[in-house]
Amino acid sequence: MTASPTINGPAAGASPAERRLLRTAAPQSGFAPWKDPSKQPIIRFENVTKRFGDFVAVDNITLDIYEREFFALLGPSGCGKTTLLRMLAGFEKPTEGRVIVEGKDITDLAPYERSNINMMFQSYALFPHMTVERNVGFGLRQEGMPEDQIKARVNEAMSLVELGKFAHRKPHQLSGGQQQRVALARAIAKKPKLMLLDEPLGALDKKLRNQAQFELMRIQEQTGTTFVIVTHDQEEAMTVASRIAVMNQGRLEQVSTPGEIYESPQSRYVAQFIGDVNIMEGKVVSLPGDGTVEITPASGDGRIFKAGACEGLFVGQQVWLSVRPEKFRISLDPPQSNVNVVKGRVDDVGYLGSISHYHVHTEAGNRVTALRANSSHNVERAISWDDTVWLEWPAESAVVLKA
Amino acid sequence: MNTRFTWFNVTAIVLGFAFLYIPILILVIYSFNESKLVTVWGGFSTKWYAGLLENEQLMDAAWITLQVAFISATIATVLGTMAALVLVRMGRFPGRTLFSGMIFAPLVMPEVITGLSLLLLFVAINFDRGFWTIVLAHATFTMCFAAVVVQARLTDFDSRVEEAAMDLGASPVGTFFQVTLPIIAPSVISAWLLAFTLSLDDLVIASFTTGPSATTLPMKIYSQVRLGVTPEINAISTIMIAFVTVGVLIASYMTKLQSSRMERDRRAADAAAN
Repeated sequence: MTASPTINGPAAGASPAERRLLRTAAPQSGFAPWKDPSKQPIIRFENVTKRFGDFVAVDNITLDIYEREFFALLGPSGCGKTTLLRMLAGFEKPTEGRVIVEGKDITDLAPYERSNINMMFQSYALFPHMTVERNVGFGLRQEGMPEDQIKARVNEAMSLVELGKFAHRKPHQLSGGQQQRVALARAIAKKPKLMLLDEPLGALDKKLRNQAQFELMRIQEQTGTTFVIVTHDQEEAMTVASRIAVMNQGRLEQVSTPGEIYESPQSRYVAQFIGDVNIMEGKVVSLPGDGTVEITPASGDGRIFKAGACEGLFVGQQVWLSVRPEKFRISLDPPQSNVNVVKGRVDDVGYLGSISHYHVHTEAGNRVTALRANSSHNVERAISWDDTVWLEWPAESAVVLKA
Repeated sequence: MNTRFTWFNVTAIVLGFAFLYIPILILVIYSFNESKLVTVWGGFSTKWYAGLLENEQLMDAAWITLQVAFISATIATVLGTMAALVLVRMGRFPGRTLFSGMIFAPLVMPEVITGLSLLLLFVAINFDRGFWTIVLAHATFTMCFAAVVVQARLTDFDSRVEEAAMDLGASPVGTFFQVTLPIIAPSVISAWLLAFTLSLDDLVIASFTTGPSATTLPMKIYSQVRLGVTPEINAISTIMIAFVTVGVLIASYMTKLQSSRMERDRRAADAAAN
């Protein structure tokens, strides 16, 4: 994992990642058990592979998740994230490898034998013939808990999700957002050590979803439960998660904090999956040894790009440079420096109020996107269609990708 | 959609319904005939219905028929539900296609063949023919109908609901009785009603598998008709028609009531949330 030196101040039009950085800069920023070698993980996948016939859904994954983490499995549909979660719940058995939870090998246990793990299902899977109260108490009833204790625990779970007054309704008498709370209360009522969430907010509209994300975070912090969430929504993962595993075709592309994923992606796949990014192909020309690398673009117009080096680079290697749109400084006048500059022509301008998007066709033939904040009294002339512009970026905000 | 009343539409519907219902209507009307002659109207009377109660043979046959239908429908529903569960839930196992084909084959099997094969079986194992052989035979041929009805419901059943129950600690058996069965109950009940009705009016298979001690109502009616139709037969047939009609009406009314109430509740909940 490359440590990122490039954490800038709050940029205009802060991306979710940056908002997240601001948030984690606050009290709980010290929470990083994955960096502490003395900590034992609560979940350990050991070389887990799952095949369905010829299709490899999960391909030799080894992954540790720590107690009290809010861990996100992120990826497009079919990347294996749901299969991985279902292996934790016990609905799928790995073809190879072991799944260990709290030091105990649970690979071969049936779902109903995993009493410390509960799951919140996509589209909720509420029991339609039971009232909200019976739904929430279902798990406790299976344990044979006395009715008065069940009642207390159900009330506790329902007040945690602020659902008290709907106790005697049936699921079909509730709105989507209320059903989502019932599903959450039902899974949390047994006070599991580990809570699994399969696209828990996928059925909600955008406004409700944002509220629900913060509610999930609140409940996770209040109960101290370890949460593992599966999602294909990168903003959702960035908002809620302590760490994100980006998955692609059954493999882990990168496992890092949201900030690291955004600021120092390790592959083009991760860079492109999380937010907008401009990728420029090039070759390493020199490694001065001061922690930087010099790259010539593939189009070879003699310019030099400089960026922070990562491990294992060599001269002549093909690499990709990733620059986020908001890192570009776009101007109508040529900058003094000749390093980290591209020249181009404006193809398209998208005015979004506080910021503008510029699609620039570079001399090298790439199409890149730049963002600029629209400060109130721009003295400069507004950049418009067909203008010749220069894009410049600081060396530390570009990331060199080897794959 | 074109909803105009044209002469063509009206004629078509009158013809269609006339074809379906005139025979039944005539049967019902003549059950209230004063005259003993089936084809001559002699004024309104309910005396044949009163006479029925005193006809012990017919009443016995009716009682046997109800018992057979009740027991065989129950057996068929249990077996049919189990078969449907295996077909829908167990995924792909070797021989699944063969298995499902074999469950549904009796749907199109000629009743004569089913009846004959059962008769030969009972003879071969030296099973005394009578009440229980009819029950077994009816359970056999109605089971596949029950399986079809339950399978249709299970196919669009969200299996995640069952997974949720197991995730919360319910064993597979506990999940079935606490979650699956209550949810599919309406289709299990309609499967039972279908099996019950099929058993009620079966003549062919019952004739093959019965013994001297057990005569069902359709058999009784058939044998009496051969000696000449009496208005008594019309009366008991009318009662059977009423029985079935009321049952179907109640079942469909309840399904409709349930779904419209659920729809209304859901809309109300969404409106309250927005």
